Amino acid sequence: MADDQDFRSPLKKAKGLGAAHAGVHHWMAQRITALALIPLVVWLVYSIVDLKGASYAEFMAWTASPINAVLMIFFVIASFYHGVLGAQVVVEDYIKCKCLKMTKLIAHKLFFTALAIATIFSILKIAFTAG
Amino acid sequence: MAKFTLPKGSKVKKGKRVDATHKDSTNTKSFKVYRWDPEDETNPRLDEYVLDLDDCGPMVLDALIHIKDNVDSSLTFRRSCREGICGSCAMNIDGRNTLACLKPINEVKSDVKITPLPHMPVVKDLVPDLSHAYAQYESIEPWMKTDSPAPTRERLQSQTDAQMLNGNDGKGPAACILCFCCTTSCPSYWWNPEKFMGPAVLLNAWRWITDTRDEATDERLDQLEDPFKLYRCHTIMNCTNSCPKDLNPAQSISEIKKLMAERHS
Repeated sequence: MADDQDFRSPLKKAKGLGAAHAGVHHWMAQRITALALIPLVVWLVYSIVDLKGASYAEFMAWTASPINAVLMIFFVIASFYHGVLGAQVVVEDYIKCKCLKMTKLIAHKLFFTALAIATIFSILKIAFTAG
Repeated sequence: MAKFTLPKGSKVKKGKRVDATHKDSTNTKSFKVYRWDPEDETNPRLDEYVLDLDDCGPMVLDALIHIKDNVDSSLTFRRSCREGICGSCAMNIDGRNTLACLKPINEVKSDVKITPLPHMPVVKDLVPDLSHAYAQYESIEPWMKTDSPAPTRERLQSQTDAQMLNGNDGKGPAACILCFCCTTSCPSYWWNPEKFMGPAVLLNAWRWITDTRDEATDERLDQLEDPFKLYRCHTIMNCTNSCPKDLNPAQSISEIKKLMAERHS
């Protein structure tokens, strides 16, 4: 008898490892960040268009204003969080190899977190030093 | 990575062409049918049968039966009721999953291309192996579960409650015939069939969750609360598009997701 013969029943395979009792948080967070991003993207696009032709100093002053700095940080957190959640779904959808999947999931979470921290740090630095 | 092309042995080759028309045929149509026999060690092929439509009935299933009876008896497919209630003749016709018995031949403008339901192992020709999908259905325990003592008569339900199952138009989740046209049309199911339940099974899970007589709602939600079993659904909507009974699996899945959110907030 061949070693690779599969004696597991279809039900055994369908049940697999059972439910992880998770996923709701991911689903809700993705929708909440999406909601937050609607007004934030409108604000950001409007602001950048409005700043067309502005000098470096004007740009710095704009970023340093408390409202703009706070909204920018909000935008960075919402967009990076939303991005991480989305990228996780893409990886889970398409990558079959368990090892590669885990590596990708961990790597992109660390990468996006580092990027978000760096961006927030830059905004704070401008906010606290410029103007 | 996910596979985007067919494995070498599954690539479909050109098959034979059989002209079953008569000299004086005017109403002809070409049917290109997927053929594969596990006993031949050859790739699957598309055989072409040219039929006189005056010889057979109006539906694609009539054409297949005509081919089997009069042209090529080796053609293999499932069929039973020929009126859209058994779900046996689910297959991909003209690029869409549907029931051959409900699909009029004249709805297909060009040649009629017929292949088995996508992404399932093929048993032979147009017969897919649905064992896994059936087992997934079994795993949601699709029967009434109660803890209260059984009543001495039927379990009662209000008309409004019954409408949750049957829908105002008879197109509620209880009308699913388990043909798996929806599940096999879902890209998310193609990528993760081992873990994702697929639209047909989720629609049936909803059918029991929303049944006011069933007392296992908590257990049923527990079993589905999973990033893969439920949340692989990305609302692509192929399921609702392909359902030959005009049901809406995508909506049922959304209802389950809404309940999941509700019990967490």
